[in-house]
Amino acid sequence: MGDHCEQTMRKLSVYIDRELSDAEVRSVKAHLDDCPPCEKVFDFQAEMKRLVRKECCTDDAPARLRDWVRQLATEKPPARDREA
Amino acid sequence: MNSDFSLFERHVDALYRSALRLTRKPEDAEDLVQETYLRAYRYRNRFKPGTNEKAWLFTIMTNVFRNRLRQRPAPTEPLDQPGTDFSIYDQLRREGMPVHLMSPEEIIVERGFGDEVKHALEELPLPMRMVVVLVDVEDFSYKEVASILGIKIGTVMSRLHRGRQALQKKLWEYSGRPRARPVAVGAH
Repeated sequence: MGDHCEQTMRKLSVYIDRELSDAEVRSVKAHLDDCPPCEKVFDFQAEMKRLVRKECCTDDAPARLRDWVRQLATEKPPARDREA
Repeated sequence: MNSDFSLFERHVDALYRSALRLTRKPEDAEDLVQETYLRAYRYRNRFKPGTNEKAWLFTIMTNVFRNRLRQRPAPTEPLDQPGTDFSIYDQLRREGMPVHLMSPEEIIVERGFGDEVKHALEELPLPMRMVVVLVDVEDFSYKEVASILGIKIGTVMSRLHRGRQALQKKLWEYSGRPRARPVAVGAH
């Protein structure tokens, strides 16, 4: 593994999170385009991030909670707020 | 003024799913979200229009959650662990799986890594779990997470790094029998 690979691997998760500077993005991108093994690692880690999001986004708020919040947003505060 | 509150309403699913990861119990999650909205409602005049209302709601929720935890600590909370260098990809490569010939989706499906994500996440120590949820599930920036949790960006990054590795390690353990089906290099 060359220096470039190591540098890229160190920055990989920050790159995936879109938190690198433009210059760093360009250098990581250039390396990934040139280096298939590093690109595979990138693909996998990016997919893991998507997987976490996808799996956790299946839990929607129960209808009763949604209704309760909607009621809060209307002009009359629900009972629990008036007690407080 | 009240009509502005409808702006906050659309984040109920995001708050609920995160509350579920934090509390690990549907009834506690629902209660946490209610308390969050009550406070948001009470303090709605403090919200600066034009700023990120989702981040504002999450700041309230994590504060409420941490206060509750202080009052009655959950006995089953996993303890913070030292970081371990772990990557599923490296592990599979070491095992001899032809990862370079497979798409990430194939690897994940083949080994069932997707089945236990929520469970694995809920097993992470809270400081790491919060950061992983806020960044990976809710798509907040490092800066926003630092502000929501009142910690430094460097701390966000190190917790995220450790959290993701710990998460992969748990998924690896749950997927079972890491060495039971070795695949010879070049067999495919």
